[in-house]
Amino acid sequence: MTLKPKQPERPALTRWRYGIGMQIAAFGAVLLAAQTSFAAGTPAGTVIDNTAQVSFDIGGTSLSLNSNTVSITVDERIDVVVTLQSPQVLVAGGESNRSLLFRVTNNGNGSEGFALAIDSNLGGDDFDPVPAVPAIYFDMDASGDFNPGDVAYTPGTNDPQLLADGFIDILLVNDIPLAVNNGDIGLSQLIATSQTGSGAAGDVFAGQGEGGGDAVLGTSGGQAAGNGEYLVSDVAFSIVKSVVVADPFGGTQPVPGATLTYTLVVQVTNAGTAGNSTVNDPIPVNTSYVANSINVNGAPVTDAVDGDSGELNLAGVPSVVVRLGDLTQASGVQTVIFQVTID
Amino acid sequence: MKTIHQFGICMLLTSLAGTAFAQDAAQGHLLVKTVVQKEEVVVDASGEETVRLVDAKVVVPGDEVIYTVTFENISDTAAENVVITNPIAADLEYVDGSAFGPGSDIVFSVDGGTMFAAAGELSVAENGVVRPAEAKDFTHIRWEMQNEIPAGSQGVARFRARLP
Repeated sequence: MTLKPKQPERPALTRWRYGIGMQIAAFGAVLLAAQTSFAAGTPAGTVIDNTAQVSFDIGGTSLSLNSNTVSITVDERIDVVVTLQSPQVLVAGGESNRSLLFRVTNNGNGSEGFALAIDSNLGGDDFDPVPAVPAIYFDMDASGDFNPGDVAYTPGTNDPQLLADGFIDILLVNDIPLAVNNGDIGLSQLIATSQTGSGAAGDVFAGQGEGGGDAVLGTSGGQAAGNGEYLVSDVAFSIVKSVVVADPFGGTQPVPGATLTYTLVVQVTNAGTAGNSTVNDPIPVNTSYVANSINVNGAPVTDAVDGDSGELNLAGVPSVVVRLGDLTQASGVQTVIFQVTID
Repeated sequence: MKTIHQFGICMLLTSLAGTAFAQDAAQGHLLVKTVVQKEEVVVDASGEETVRLVDAKVVVPGDEVIYTVTFENISDTAAENVVITNPIAADLEYVDGSAFGPGSDIVFSVDGGTMFAAAGELSVAENGVVRPAEAKDFTHIRWEMQNEIPAGSQGVARFRARLP
């Protein structure tokens, strides 16, 4: 039997108050150690023990003992989310192999496999895209587009296995039917389902969690879906560039010192909208931009980045940048003019 | 439980850090038991919800668990200066305001159990900035029983922790 020596007696209350003040003054504040944090939560299989310690005086003797140790093992929470990565994809009737990019993220706290599926027969749209065969691909080159190197998904063969917090980018590839109209929207959906199981949040799959514990369905119920959108757009965009030479001697010879006036004619035809149309024209080598020579539809535009519709962009190769906004056939001809001199 | 309140105040402030004792001997005086539970909502036939405590068999991130320490003086002598110290596991976060213990003063540590003070009196330095300690910074909870525990009497200390 080991006894703890009795501490010298002091007035308890005084000592307590004084003790706090002294310790705060002496140590300032405790430095926090960096802790690893997991967006998905404490990893499945983590064992957390708890033992309480009790000290007391009995019959003038100070004693201390530990309680029993209780242990919990963190179970696996299964959660998955599917997010659309690509903006609305503009298509024309009859096109094939048009892709939508999605990301499947394992929001659970354990490693989990997911089965993937496509559904292009959704309501709430104007036409149903036709899934290519196969229709689901892994975006191997991380290009965001469907390329020959992307690997097709085969259910049960290469189901993605994602670590906690892990994700994978997936392409859905559809063909566009011929019989569509300008402005029509077609939806396509990627569905990811946990291989352990899906159902209602809170459902338990006994013994099937990572680390030997149970698996519990989180708010996603073990399944998630995301929609992507194809927009039929017949819009056609044309740009024609021409140049007029004026030499210093009143002629039209492209000699050093001659001024080149470039004219870009931009036009949108057919139904539809060319959103955020922007002209970006590099200054040719061996020429120098003529300051403040940008003119858009007859009005001058300054060289500075100042909120007007254009500027001389000096990043990298200097270039004239003009933002024409959303253009339709009704917008008519847009004319951008600027000048350079031959060095 | 009621008998606890009939006795005079006595505080114990000795540090418990680093002490090792023969449990068998001490167990002859106080019986101490810890359990871990979680809340389960039960809906009866009439649709009424009741909350009950069940064994924490399945615990996933986001869950809260409840630790309960019970002690009973099984000796024939009153136990004085009873202090219960419970570490908060590194993987858990103490739930603010959840510590409970009839007849006890409850203090906390943010430095691994070296220094204890009331919850509002602790501070920590994070990235060189000193700020008041939050519940998630606590490393230990200590219940200081204000009254002696007579022979045959019991006491309880409880807190709630969240699994991030």
